[in-house]
Amino acid sequence: MTALSARGLCGGYGARRVVGPVDVDIAAGSCTAVLGPNGAGKSTLLRLLAGILRPSAGMVELLGRDIAAMRRREVACLVGFVPQALALAFPLTVHEMVSQGRTPRLGPWRPAGLADEAAVEAAMRDLGLGAHRDTPVHTLSGGERQLVLLARALAGEPRLLLLDEPATGLDVRHQLQLVDTVRRLVERGVGAAIVLHDWNLACRLADTALVLHGGTIAASGPPHEVLSPDLVARVFGVAVERVLTPGGLLLAPRHAVAGWLDAPPAPGGGRACR
Amino acid sequence: MRRAADPLLALALVGAALASLLTGSVALTPLEVGTALVGGGEDTARVVVLSLRLPRLGLALLVGASLALAGAALQSLLANPLADPFLLGISGGGAAAATLAVVALPAVLLGLVPLAGMGGAALATGLVWWLARGPLGASSTRLILAGVAVNAAASAVILLVLAFASGSRLPGALAVTMGSLAGASAARAWWLLPYTLGAAAVLLHHGRDLGLLGTGEESAAGLGVDVPAVRRRVFLAAAALCGGAVAFAGVIGFVGLVTPHLCRLVWGQAPRRLLVRSAVLGAALTAAGDTLARRLVPGAELPVGVITALLGVPFFVALLRRSA
Repeated sequence: MTALSARGLCGGYGARRVVGPVDVDIAAGSCTAVLGPNGAGKSTLLRLLAGILRPSAGMVELLGRDIAAMRRREVACLVGFVPQALALAFPLTVHEMVSQGRTPRLGPWRPAGLADEAAVEAAMRDLGLGAHRDTPVHTLSGGERQLVLLARALAGEPRLLLLDEPATGLDVRHQLQLVDTVRRLVERGVGAAIVLHDWNLACRLADTALVLHGGTIAASGPPHEVLSPDLVARVFGVAVERVLTPGGLLLAPRHAVAGWLDAPPAPGGGRACR
Repeated sequence: MRRAADPLLALALVGAALASLLTGSVALTPLEVGTALVGGGEDTARVVVLSLRLPRLGLALLVGASLALAGAALQSLLANPLADPFLLGISGGGAAAATLAVVALPAVLLGLVPLAGMGGAALATGLVWWLARGPLGASSTRLILAGVAVNAAASAVILLVLAFASGSRLPGALAVTMGSLAGASAARAWWLLPYTLGAAAVLLHHGRDLGLLGTGEESAAGLGVDVPAVRRRVFLAAAALCGGAVAFAGVIGFVGLVTPHLCRLVWGQAPRRLLVRSAVLGAALTAAGDTLARRLVPGAELPVGVITALLGVPFFVALLRRSA
């Protein structure tokens, strides 16, 4: 079953097109890693898929429904979105922030019930945040804040997770915890799209890799097949070597490809948005 | 402390209200005030309490609640602890128009000063919104920058008007810029009441949205907030509250900025409760400030904004240091 499907999707900021046209399918119970160099349009694609950014062309279907015809709250009940940046204007505790994940289900007036509190506690437990329940979020490290944001998304019990660089700032142990948590949810039937910069983490976590370059899809498919040395050199400007280890195949960066930045891709890969 | 604080807040409101009713140039005992409140006692006492003190108290409570509500909502909406009706130019616009009206209108039309104040606040709100609009809508940063610009322009207008004000009109104009509840009447309080309640209802309805917006617009949108629509409604409701307050009481500083922070420091961030507690504390502070403004210097009335600042800042500093 397809959790999310996008066709001819284009979008950007004002007159500047950043993404598109792209076609994306995320199956329920599968994880897609969104990869690409800085400025490739990964975060913008995620915002378009989450319905946060209005597309300039194309459409997104969430569980078979046109996302443009859905209310924001309806979308948020189905999609757990983890943004890259978080403004912390006022000090919230970990519990207060994770509880925000239930807000779409509560609406403007319904008080939180036992089921809501249980979902919040389960999300904090899943990500090892139980001991930090009453800790102010602004006193946590960057990596721990990422875990809080992920717990907030999980507290909403979403059918689809859209995670924008959730592994940034996480130490290795917490990266593995992130992988385990996402894989566990995926096995329960949740669809996931996750922006990553770590190719090896993508290989470990994702069923599909979607490589963006210049706002369009340069390649997609099983991560080990997609992330060939040729593609990595062309898209990321890095020469890599595949190394077979007891833990599996790893991509080992060797050096930057000379002159890569001299040939940026054309916006939209030359295709028009309709 | 949090558990004990709610009854203390209620006690502060009741205490401030009683002190306000018991204070004035005519000496009345608590019994006389109580009797007058239920319609009994001497005529003089009844007139003083029902026609002068009660309307003044009502207006103080409404104005204080309006300013604090507007401040709490704007701080969350813009994810900026410094945001308040003054920073965004709304109070400045209202004060500039009211000052101009006090100085320029003929004596028979001075009753229109509150309307001018509300009109000025509405105009400033529209101007700030129009200036802040970009290709992606009115962003928080652009709103604050536009507010600073409109505030500067309003300050210049106020100074210009004061410079050319005739001697007889100058005290009235100064009262607008420094805040005063001396012109309170039952009609004004009744006029302001539904207006305040309507705008407050809009803010309370969006209480949870405001809590989410305090973590950033993208984060809030991801949790189901229709950010452009909520931003528009909350900004207009906050502007209406502030416009009403400035129109009837002039510029009363500090209440909108610091009251929500005091509530956050004592009770935490629960968004809708923060709005309610801010409104109650703002009302109590303004009523207490107005009482002190009438009592501190015998025979004279100090600007109520100065008193609210003097009352609140020590509490705020103490709480800030404790929380650090």
